[in-house]
Amino acid sequence: MLAKYLLRRVLATVPVVIGVTLITFLIMHVTAGSYIPGVDLNPALKPEDIEAIKRYLGLDRPLYLQYLTWLGGIVHGDFGRSMIDGSPVSSHILDRLPATLELTITAILLGVLISIPLGVTGALRRGSKIDHALTAMSVAGFAVPAFWFGLMLILVFSVFLESKGLPFLPSGGVMTPGTNGGDLLDRLVHLILPATVLSFVYLSIWSRFTRSSMLEVLSQDYVRTARAKGMSERRVVYLHALRNAVIPLVTLVGLELPALVSGGLVVEVVFSWPGIGKLLYERALQTDYTTVLGITTFAALLVVLGNLLADVLYAILDPRIRYS
Amino acid sequence: MISPLPLEGEIAPEPVVRARQSRSYWEESRERLLNNRFGVAAGLVLVFFVVVALLAPVLSALFTHTDSRTIDLANTFAPPLQGGHILGTDELGRDELTRLLFGAQVSMGIGFLSVVVALTVGATVGLVAGYYGGIIDGVLMRFVDMILAIPAIFLFILMALLFKPNTVTLALIIASVGWGSIARLVRGEVLSVRTRDFMVATKALGASDARLIVRHLLPNVLHVLIVYGSLYLAQVVLIEASLDFLGLGITPPTPSWGNMLTNSDTYFFHSSWLVIWPGVTIFLSVLAANLFGNALRDAFDPRLR
Amino acid sequence: MTETLLEVRDLKTQFATRDGVVKAVDGVSFELEAGETLGIVGESGSGKSVTALSIMRLVPPPGRIVGGHVKLKDRDLTTISEGEMQEVRGESIAMIFQDPMTSLNPVFRVGWQVAEPLIVHDEKKRQSAMGQATAMLGKVGIPHPGQRSKDYPHQFSGGMRQRAMIAMGLTTMPEVLIADEPTTALDVTIQAQILDLLDQVNREFGTATILITHNLGVVAGMCERVIVMYAGRIVESGPTADVFAHPRHPYTWSLLRSIPRLDADRHEPLQAISGIPPDLIELPSGCAFHPRCTFRVDRCSRDVPHLERVGETQMAACWVTQGGRDLNA
Repeated sequence: MLAKYLLRRVLATVPVVIGVTLITFLIMHVTAGSYIPGVDLNPALKPEDIEAIKRYLGLDRPLYLQYLTWLGGIVHGDFGRSMIDGSPVSSHILDRLPATLELTITAILLGVLISIPLGVTGALRRGSKIDHALTAMSVAGFAVPAFWFGLMLILVFSVFLESKGLPFLPSGGVMTPGTNGGDLLDRLVHLILPATVLSFVYLSIWSRFTRSSMLEVLSQDYVRTARAKGMSERRVVYLHALRNAVIPLVTLVGLELPALVSGGLVVEVVFSWPGIGKLLYERALQTDYTTVLGITTFAALLVVLGNLLADVLYAILDPRIRYS
Repeated sequence: MISPLPLEGEIAPEPVVRARQSRSYWEESRERLLNNRFGVAAGLVLVFFVVVALLAPVLSALFTHTDSRTIDLANTFAPPLQGGHILGTDELGRDELTRLLFGAQVSMGIGFLSVVVALTVGATVGLVAGYYGGIIDGVLMRFVDMILAIPAIFLFILMALLFKPNTVTLALIIASVGWGSIARLVRGEVLSVRTRDFMVATKALGASDARLIVRHLLPNVLHVLIVYGSLYLAQVVLIEASLDFLGLGITPPTPSWGNMLTNSDTYFFHSSWLVIWPGVTIFLSVLAANLFGNALRDAFDPRLR
Repeated sequence: MTETLLEVRDLKTQFATRDGVVKAVDGVSFELEAGETLGIVGESGSGKSVTALSIMRLVPPPGRIVGGHVKLKDRDLTTISEGEMQEVRGESIAMIFQDPMTSLNPVFRVGWQVAEPLIVHDEKKRQSAMGQATAMLGKVGIPHPGQRSKDYPHQFSGGMRQRAMIAMGLTTMPEVLIADEPTTALDVTIQAQILDLLDQVNREFGTATILITHNLGVVAGMCERVIVMYAGRIVESGPTADVFAHPRHPYTWSLLRSIPRLDADRHEPLQAISGIPPDLIELPSGCAFHPRCTFRVDRCSRDVPHLERVGETQMAACWVTQGGRDLNA
């Protein structure tokens, strides 16, 4: 039943988690070798000192032990320490996570809520001018580089409007400096542009996908049965068909989560949005490898969690999964 | 068999059975593709960008009479059509058009290289996993799951930090994740083809695994590779541009469409054309690759139009 | 003299495809009386399913009804609005399809799907509709109907799904039930059960039934009258027993002869019909069957034969038999 299915899904994530942490660990340690922060900067360090530091940091132990320490740390929420100032990565992540979640979840909701009507319209009016227009828009939307789109929107809705003395949208940040985040409207206004940019690309993909999913469903036998029962076309489309057509969309959104988080990074940078993506970027510019590694691992785990949630939603929507 | 007999005294005329001409799947697909005007146009645009990339030095010698790195601090932010600079100059006085031309080399070069590598690795993994099934399939696909679970840009940034990429290594970095989706796609296609009668029959005739995979399975999943190749090219161009924009990919002075936009927030108000050109080229090339990929998909499988 | 429930007159349905116009139904006429069981027999491509879909006005694009009419009692179904047709479907005429696995919506409970016509057409309240649906599920032979109606289609076996489909068609007590190859996708043992069920339903509820199939055995077991279709046209019709004993059309005759018999000599070759089914875009001239016909004469390739009375109870569209020839002599 549902519980068994969920348990299976949770268990299935364990190897993925191990795999992900292993991959990030390997990329870091095997390729960068054993690095010591700041070693190059201090010529007075003697080889024995370097050895001592290595031993202290545990870098002389066999690789698998290092990995297990790393994994163990993650299980406890320890994602390493910054190379620059030794601060724990996890505290930075916790600081910035809410902003990223705010942005990502809003983008997903926006994307799904707009894609479904667009996709259904395209399917119902297949081959018509509207369908062609929607398809053209989605193909174009998918080709627009997110960062450029963000810049353009800022140019138009922020800089240009402001220069004309018209009401304008903020060009960055979560809230107006000075307020302390309590003003909901202010936060919403700041959210508009970044969420729009992030959801834009996915809108294009998802609406086309909904369209083809809908077309596929509409050609199914059970839709013919519904019509044979004398159900009105509206009922057939919005009750019998749509209910089936959105199921693969859930899977697709789940599959796109890594890309969404990736895209989120770029959007966060363009809009100075204080999320974990921007954090990673800042630290990358400072060549703070360990923080970058820690955040990457965390982001991957976040995606795994998101997929799990998508699986739950899928099971709710599709009874065939629940009862098998 | 009951054969038709004429009745006595009457002559029954020979029935005429006309058959319609049959065509192969590839011929039909090619015909469908060529009939798709948008698809053909997109393909031509793509070819255009490739040609520009290949001939960038020649074109710049012919049209702009300068190279992409000559700095002219007296002439920064020149508007288009001024002083022989068709598209203006950037923040260091370098000719914008020339930089765009050479930028095409970066985008198309990394794009195609990445596509070739990712397709090769992905197809191999997908074929093997799909054909052998069982543990091999399980292990390979789990591995793909893990790679695909990590947000790509995060991984690319991490690797770019470690490797200090040039064009070739950047292409490899991008392909190191890209092959995963392709492997999944190919595997899925293999699974559906593998059980078809002709596969079972050929195997019964004694064909070896390698022969079955290469000579019988591969041609039937080829269309998936072709379609995805074009779509993936579009993704690579976008990803690469994003990485360059962030300053973590190809860095100046080598021009790339992405890094030409890196500091644009500092000057986009007074020289907005500088922000528009690279964006347009990225957009057009990605659009062309996408449209062409879609046209290919429609040509191979028109059912879902 | 029972009333004529359904009158199909010169029905023509065509599909406009890239390669040409497919004349799927090319001038079909027949009648259905209240409570009777009619079989429509033909091979794939004969037009039998499209005929049924045309009656229901469910022909998928690019198909269109291009001629003729279909009258339900006195109402011409080909001219009424779509909204009015929706009221007819599922309420006066019900149709069940070949593959019960794919014909039921996987995400809704079976009981609800069976009850839906009651809720929408008869405007019953959900609870009483569900009660009626459960009762109907029981009537069609599904054990523990109360429990089963809460299940989803994938939890039913093939035979049970088809029973559920039949229940779904019958809840509103329609006057006509069209069953399009209802047993083709089922195991042989289940086939017999479903046919018995259809028979029982017809007797108990008085529902006129049109049974569409390519299987002569199915028709023989259940239908009072039979229509034989070929290349979109009716080639023979009449009481089942008479048609089977004395086929009046070479196609029917060949079909019956081609059935392998248990008591035939082992070494006797199987009697297949020579040739291939016709191209519905470019039908042969004259009688569509003539290229494959053992009995053909000159006229057969020139003029299209019409359905005329041949013998006491049967009708056939054949120049040869209309000219008096007995195929069985």
